[in-house]
Amino acid sequence: MNTSSNGYVMGFAVTVCVVISAALAMTSSALKPAQEAAKELDRQKNMLIAAGFVQPDEVKAPADLRRMFDERVEELVLDTETGKLVEGKTAGDIAALNKAAVAEAKAGGDKEAAKRALTRYRVLAVGAGTDGKPEAYILPVSGKGLWSTIKGFLALESDLAHVRGVTFYEHGETPGLGGECENPVWCATWRGKSIRDEQGHVVGVIVKKGKVDPTVPADKAHKVDGLSGATITSNGITKFVKADLDAFDKYLQTLRAK
Amino acid sequence: MTSTATSPATKAGLFGPDAIKALKDPLWDNNPIAFQILGICSSLAVTTRLDKALVMGIGVTLVTALSNVMISCIRNFIPNKIRIIVQLVVVSGVVIVFDQFLKAYLFDLSKQLSVFVGLIITNCIVMGRLEAYAMGNPPWRSFLDGIGNGLGYMWILAVVGVIREIFGSGKLLGMQVIPQAVYDAGYVNNGLMVLAPGAFVLLGIIVWVQRSISGYSEK
Repeated sequence: MNTSSNGYVMGFAVTVCVVISAALAMTSSALKPAQEAAKELDRQKNMLIAAGFVQPDEVKAPADLRRMFDERVEELVLDTETGKLVEGKTAGDIAALNKAAVAEAKAGGDKEAAKRALTRYRVLAVGAGTDGKPEAYILPVSGKGLWSTIKGFLALESDLAHVRGVTFYEHGETPGLGGECENPVWCATWRGKSIRDEQGHVVGVIVKKGKVDPTVPADKAHKVDGLSGATITSNGITKFVKADLDAFDKYLQTLRAK
Repeated sequence: MTSTATSPATKAGLFGPDAIKALKDPLWDNNPIAFQILGICSSLAVTTRLDKALVMGIGVTLVTALSNVMISCIRNFIPNKIRIIVQLVVVSGVVIVFDQFLKAYLFDLSKQLSVFVGLIITNCIVMGRLEAYAMGNPPWRSFLDGIGNGLGYMWILAVVGVIREIFGSGKLLGMQVIPQAVYDAGYVNNGLMVLAPGAFVLLGIIVWVQRSISGYSEK
């Protein structure tokens, strides 16, 4: 057989591609349930890390993590427009709730409202201390970095004004530059930062360009060191953390008033 | 290079002299890192901890062995004009499958290895073995050659990983090995070991030691 004829080359290339893609498609669908379970466990683990219940480098069996999550973390569904909790719904219902909200806003013809409705319902988790009292409020934060959507959790102390911990667990930023946002050493510097000014308004946590000067009170209270070589990632984090805190603030204010 | 030559069709058993040679050569005499200086990029990037180095080593071993077998099986049908791209398609397929398994069963490690699993596709060792060995040798010997080269890569990674993890973070496989008392006495972790340049220096020393023992010198 003439293996250098154009017809043979084309036929061979197509066959190889089809066979390999079929094999990949089969592996991918066979492994999907296991991958989703691993992802969900990672999400729960990061909530526990943000709340300070688990240390970032602690090695824990999956079963222990799940048990700890079930015992100490309660996921609530919040309507950010009204600032009230939605009773009888779970984290799994969020997508459906938001879809309905978007459809409703679109029917009203208001484009801005439709955009806001995309994330109208959000999960808010409460971490209980060993005495059962709320010890940490874990807020999911996410937004754009340079290349990708960054997802993380920001946990607040029970005074709802100070950062208890933060993790960024899903991103596609450049490893070594923007990807350093997942570095536990950097995340630890967020601890104790105040997200509110003296009047109690949300200012968020500002990822500064360069290093924080501890002698400047505003720096010390609200800012963390920038990620070197990753200005856009840093600015993105500053922006979406503030935006998400604003969205949750209506509810947080009612809690503070109590 | 001795291994590039097509071996004569000797009819020896499963572990005849040719097979043993294919498996053993790359471990020491013809080591892909120490002798051929291939795969340096990934060996600097994934050796901050031993577990990362081991998983990466297993990955490269599996990928080299499996793609060697596959290419060797179809070596007589691959049109010469498109052989490199056919090799790439096969290698990419195997690497993606490995990556999917990591995502399902070793999620934490897969996150830490991040892009480097995908980059096995571009690892010179894999393509080098396909071109130099699998294209001219039968499947079983190609498989052994792949395993040998993968293990040859892995043991060097493991050595670098052990040294970097102990001196860089005082741990081994995530467990503290340098006792707290030593830190209290003023010992600090070596920051250079955590960074890529530290690995580069270490790798240089390992290549030097390996070459002075094996007696190889540049002509």
